[in-house]
Amino acid sequence: MKPLVTGRRGWLTLVALVAVAAGLALVVVAVRAQVSAPQPPRSVGAVDAPSPSSTPAAGGRVKPTARPGPRALGPSAPRSISIPAIGVRSVVNPIGLNTDGTLAVPQPGPHLDQAAWFENSPTPGQPGPSVVEGHVDSDRGPSVFFELGRLRPGNVIRITRADGVRVTFTVDAVRDYKKSRFPTDVVYGAKDLSRPELRLITCSQFDPAIRHHVGNAVIFAHLTATRR
Amino acid sequence: MRTSLRLLVPIAAAALPFAVLAGPASAATNSYQATLNPLNHSTGTGMATITTNGNSAQVKVSWSGLADQFSGGPYPHVQHIHIGGAGHCPTAADDKNGDGVISTTEGGPAYGGIGTTLSTKGDTSPKAGTDIKIAPSGGSTSYSRTIQLSADTVSSLQNGTGVIVVHGLDPATLSKKAQNEKSDLVPSLPLAATSPALCGTLSSMPSGGVATGTGSTSGVEDLGTLALGGGLLALGGAALVARRRVAVKA
Repeated sequence: MKPLVTGRRGWLTLVALVAVAAGLALVVVAVRAQVSAPQPPRSVGAVDAPSPSSTPAAGGRVKPTARPGPRALGPSAPRSISIPAIGVRSVVNPIGLNTDGTLAVPQPGPHLDQAAWFENSPTPGQPGPSVVEGHVDSDRGPSVFFELGRLRPGNVIRITRADGVRVTFTVDAVRDYKKSRFPTDVVYGAKDLSRPELRLITCSQFDPAIRHHVGNAVIFAHLTATRR
Repeated sequence: MRTSLRLLVPIAAAALPFAVLAGPASAATNSYQATLNPLNHSTGTGMATITTNGNSAQVKVSWSGLADQFSGGPYPHVQHIHIGGAGHCPTAADDKNGDGVISTTEGGPAYGGIGTTLSTKGDTSPKAGTDIKIAPSGGSTSYSRTIQLSADTVSSLQNGTGVIVVHGLDPATLSKKAQNEKSDLVPSLPLAATSPALCGTLSSMPSGGVATGTGSTSGVEDLGTLALGGGLLALGGAALVARRRVAVKA
């Protein structure tokens, strides 16, 4: 019987074949490891979903607040967040402002890839927009809000508060803003401050030329259920 | 991103603190927000926003869960921007006379005096501070009014010592002792009527966007694996081609 591999040329062929096979396998592995954050749509849904009390009072007129959704809750800091549609489950840590007046973000360390609640905003369930942010990616790769751009109106976000109350918010709208034109009053304020709302913020629009994200994706949601 | 990309990590990490590129759209406009939390065991909750342009201010205040009725009518809740204090809300430690109620006077060191009265119409000066005829009334309100602020109030907002206080407690929630006390502001009224029920420090809304990303997933992950695989493919392929050419010649 002839040996499978004979002579120097035979060995060379075998080595070349093995190299090609290994190379192919590595390329497939590497290509499969490629990830990129889903890009949020520029604008989907209505930020101020219609409600009977959403017409602002003119002048100093005061009118009783209509209450179509669940009752607003008292203050209690958020402890955890889950977003079933995109598989997010995270602890929520409080975060404040940087000295330059911008919103601080989770820093390298144990909290880097966890969600953060802006402590000057209402706690989730209180009247007004409660603000929760998270990185889209960090130096460890995809971060807690990597898939935030996939959320659409109707998706739900669940938050558990320190008082044990679980609040559910339903997405009204998705917006992708340029950071240079970030609408502060729309995101941190609201047309109807009586409505308990939620904003989720992460980065979008990575610009490879400057190696920075130049956009922010913002999810607008309102309170639809509370459970003790 | 895998270990093969470790070299790029310091670059990405260095970018983290810098990623905010823009400030507010107009330098003349400032936006403030306050979460209104209950004081003195009130059950209320609310939020306020103020957008200033010079001395002009668009003020929005919304709250619910406060005392609804007072002597058979809607309960008047006077509300103010307090200024010149420490810029925070009082705590139980500020209840100097131990009656279980932080009176408006006892809260003074924390939130200061009245800078602007958030009345529903007419006078917005400190003089209108206890005028219940032009105060929002009932258990909840959505207040929206454009007013002129005094220079003192504007500078308090800017240095973070503006505090929104909404007054008026349900007397039934007070201790027996406190229920019989007179108001420290208007002696003809009971203590409950003028004591603070909601309080929130006004702080600047965050400016510009949020730096929530490093771009680590925007490039090519596993660059090393990809390069190694591609290299092996190229070398092996080249070897095979060379081998075939030799074979053809032979």
